[in-house]
Amino acid sequence: MPEVKSIFREVLPKQGQLSMEDVPTMVLCKPKLLPLKSVTLEKLEKMQMEAQKAVKLQELAMKEQNQ
Amino acid sequence: MEVTMDPLFLAWSYFRRRKLQQCSDICTTILQDNSYDQAAWSLKTRALTEMVYIDEVEVDQEGIAEMMLDESSIAQVARPGTSLRLPGTSHGGGPTPAIRPLTQSGRPITGFVRPSTQSGRPGTMEQAIKTPRTASTARPVTSASGRFIRLGTASMLTNPEGPFINLSRLNMAKYSQKPNLSRTLFEYIFHHENDVNNALDLAAQATEHAQFKDWWWKVQLGKCYYRLGLYRESEKQFRSALNHQEVVDTYLYLAKVYQRLDQPITALSLFKQGLDHFPGEVTLLTGIARIHEEMNNIPSATEYYKDVLKQDNTHVEAIACIGSNHFYTDQPEIALRFYRRLLQMGVYNCQLYNNLGLCCFYAQQYDMTLSSFERALALVANDEEQADVWYNVGHVAVGIADLTLAYQCFKLALAFNNDHAEAYNNLAVLELRKGRIEQSKAFLQTAESLAPHMYEPHYNLSILSEKIGDLQSSYTAALKSEDSFPEHVDTQQLLKQLREHFSVL
Repeated sequence: MPEVKSIFREVLPKQGQLSMEDVPTMVLCKPKLLPLKSVTLEKLEKMQMEAQKAVKLQELAMKEQNQ
Repeated sequence: MEVTMDPLFLAWSYFRRRKLQQCSDICTTILQDNSYDQAAWSLKTRALTEMVYIDEVEVDQEGIAEMMLDESSIAQVARPGTSLRLPGTSHGGGPTPAIRPLTQSGRPITGFVRPSTQSGRPGTMEQAIKTPRTASTARPVTSASGRFIRLGTASMLTNPEGPFINLSRLNMAKYSQKPNLSRTLFEYIFHHENDVNNALDLAAQATEHAQFKDWWWKVQLGKCYYRLGLYRESEKQFRSALNHQEVVDTYLYLAKVYQRLDQPITALSLFKQGLDHFPGEVTLLTGIARIHEEMNNIPSATEYYKDVLKQDNTHVEAIACIGSNHFYTDQPEIALRFYRRLLQMGVYNCQLYNNLGLCCFYAQQYDMTLSSFERALALVANDEEQADVWYNVGHVAVGIADLTLAYQCFKLALAFNNDHAEAYNNLAVLELRKGRIEQSKAFLQTAESLAPHMYEPHYNLSILSEKIGDLQSSYTAALKSEDSFPEHVDTQQLLKQLREHFSVL
């Protein structure tokens, strides 16, 4: 197959100024590394969850007793 | 004949093995037989205390009332570099908000949350009420109505026969004379019942009984004063305790007081003083690093965290903070090594896998990225975490130019957490690419109202309004963006351009 000579030739200016237009674009919010939790914080959260559960159970039991 | 073990000995054994409920049950039966058994009584108070014990050094929760009605501040506007409350005053060359996301208060996000990680001081009451907490609960009205009280009342509710010790009928004077009982009793009142007034009463009488020579009671008095918000009194007690006996804990408590009084410089010098007596003490070094981090001086915080790692190379907080710092200073490969180290140490949770996924993606280790995120999603504990993980997956999707996937990820983030401002902003950018201007504008406005501290929604709204020819709203939005990020070059250019427009008119 004969080589096809391309009609367009690339233009690489060897001298002169290169200009570029800086268009303002929208910005994305950045990826977020999640902070690890300290042992104390985890324990606090666990205790609070358990306490809330216990209170709820007790309230349910109270309601059933009243009925 | 069956030989039974002495019940008290068995209870002790349970206590040592931290089977606290069994220990307390045995003590209860012993006390039913003989209600004057002091050993069983004391052991039961200790078991009940251990169940709810949290390290008092770590615990700090500032309520709205303390934040807004602060009496201890000297000046309304502190000099730069002397206050924890003015974020961003001392940029020590750390990453800008263009690279590192900010928390609500305008501090760069940290690699580690502790109960005392303040989300900073909001400027207005309205913001104070809206500020989300790290531990997903609302900020209490005062710290006296915070978690402690709620935990205390819960422990009482679950006891059908009422509380183990009836504090109002207790003869404090009698117990304060007995050093072998008074300490366990104090800890029980302080930690289990959260009755600071009675605890203070007991501590005051006990320290008097010890002729003001016992450092332990002075520290306890200081703790009580701190809980009651009498910071100057608690400072006095801790100082006096330090005169009797140099203890690391006392230094930490005292530094906590100074941090609450917003005197980070004093706290720093106190830590250094402590380091003279206890060279290389990890908790003191960590304290210094935390203060530097809160004052937004990330490079020196990192230095101190490195010192921590020299002493204790399994310190999770130090590893996490250094890792996140590397990530946001454009070195995800090194961050990846730190997070991998955490994984080797046995930390196994959603946050770690999410961070690993992000680091892998930006360090071009694509094979691990998605599997890390899958694990993170499998380990999530609540909806907020799920939203954050999906938000980050959305970033990966943007990175591989799969915009449909990115769109779905951000939508999922919003489905799990409807207040995710960053996801709103990114969705708006994607919507604009699709040419839906009205939708994009609506998302940006939502993001703006949810998180006024972020500059991105303001800036994007400004660009969008400028494009559709609404120069006035573009200008106001640009001004807001400048407010939250003064060094942002693009905002400055946009403002300049707009001002030229206006002057031509």
